[in-house]
Amino acid sequence: MKFDISGNPSYGDLTVALAPGESFWSEGGAMNRMSSHLELNTRLVGGLLKSVVRGVVGGESLLISEFAASEMAFLSLSPSCPGTVLHREMSGDTFYLTSGSFLACTPGLELEARFGGLRAFFSGEGGFLVEVSGEGDLFFNSFGGVVEKEIDGEFAVDTGHVVAFEPTLSYTIGGMGGVKQTLFSGEGLVMRFSGQGKLLLQTRQMPGLAGWLTPYCRV
Amino acid sequence: MEIEILSKGAFESALVHLGPNDGFVSESGAMYRASANVNIDVTTKSKSKGGLLAGVKRLLAGENFFFSTYSTTDGQPGEVGLAPTHQGEVFLIDVEPSAAWMCAGGSYLGSSPGLDVDTQFQGFKGFVSGEAPFFLNVSGQGHLLVTAFGRVVETEVQEELTVDTGHLVAFESSLQYTMSKAGGSWIQSWLAGEGLVMNFTGHGRIITQSHNPTEFGKSLGPLLPKRKS
Repeated sequence: MKFDISGNPSYGDLTVALAPGESFWSEGGAMNRMSSHLELNTRLVGGLLKSVVRGVVGGESLLISEFAASEMAFLSLSPSCPGTVLHREMSGDTFYLTSGSFLACTPGLELEARFGGLRAFFSGEGGFLVEVSGEGDLFFNSFGGVVEKEIDGEFAVDTGHVVAFEPTLSYTIGGMGGVKQTLFSGEGLVMRFSGQGKLLLQTRQMPGLAGWLTPYCRV
Repeated sequence: MEIEILSKGAFESALVHLGPNDGFVSESGAMYRASANVNIDVTTKSKSKGGLLAGVKRLLAGENFFFSTYSTTDGQPGEVGLAPTHQGEVFLIDVEPSAAWMCAGGSYLGSSPGLDVDTQFQGFKGFVSGEAPFFLNVSGQGHLLVTAFGRVVETEVQEELTVDTGHLVAFESSLQYTMSKAGGSWIQSWLAGEGLVMNFTGHGRIITQSHNPTEFGKSLGPLLPKRKS
């Protein structure tokens, strides 16, 4: 299996070359172009209950699309938002994606919805994370460009800008400053990370775009 | 007539340089700049064919009812700039009499007046999928401008290729195609969120866009306030 990411940082997409007998998983609706003989099946990853939890609360599609190749094939996948596509090789470790960031992976990776805490839930940013574990290749995407931070110590990020982070980081969710700053700075809630590990941020966020568009919507 | 693609990259637009006797046609509302000597005429037809029905058909195809035709009034050269709705690239296709093109509704930006732009109904499957079941058939000789949400990807079909309808921009009429579901069954395709795909066979070029406007709309829509009609 070979991967090619092109079009970063504005319009990243992923092209996969599959050998006979290989298959590939993606979020629903991501297929852009493919060899006609590829077989598409939907599957519940991690059982019905986990899938329902992932779909309803994780903001991800209930079902994973599985593309199976019986001969040499290519498959091109696009995220729904313009932005950057990223790759991470998983070697038995764990990785957290925020809801909507999952794009695709090699079969066998475990995808589970994790509750991010009550405060995250009420922050309106989607309080759930997708926990990815196992061995294989993971592809995820951002809205806009990506900033990669190696955290050593403490770091505060707007909740809507978090794409993914390593499990060695722990976080709390809260306001920035006091009540006045939280309400009037326009920053909303922030995630305060601490520990050592990698944190990936996106330079734009969908709720921000939607918030800007809202006054222009016809009522 | 010369056509320039301006600001290469994420936000491209087209600048059409008109000679004294040249004209250019675009979807209505696409013009964002024009020299002072350029006149706009609004019609429901391109070239000679069409009329009211052609305008109605174009509405169904997700296009505008009217075409705008630009020409210079004073016998001097002029210019007109055309910009698409979405962010992304603009692509210029040279249409030859021997090779007509089909353009997805919503991807058409403009064309030379020598080209015939005709709306073609693709059957009822399109209604089921929620995608516009119409294509614009562009034939004759001249320039065709199409737009993409994101990057333009050009693929030369050798034997077969499957393309999601939401990613299709344009393709050569020499290609044969069938519309079908992406998965093994309709339920499975629907559950997978893959909807309708087009299976192409034969030889010819296909232009696709890296991103699907419908998918983007689906992720942005739920964040917007409810529409009261």
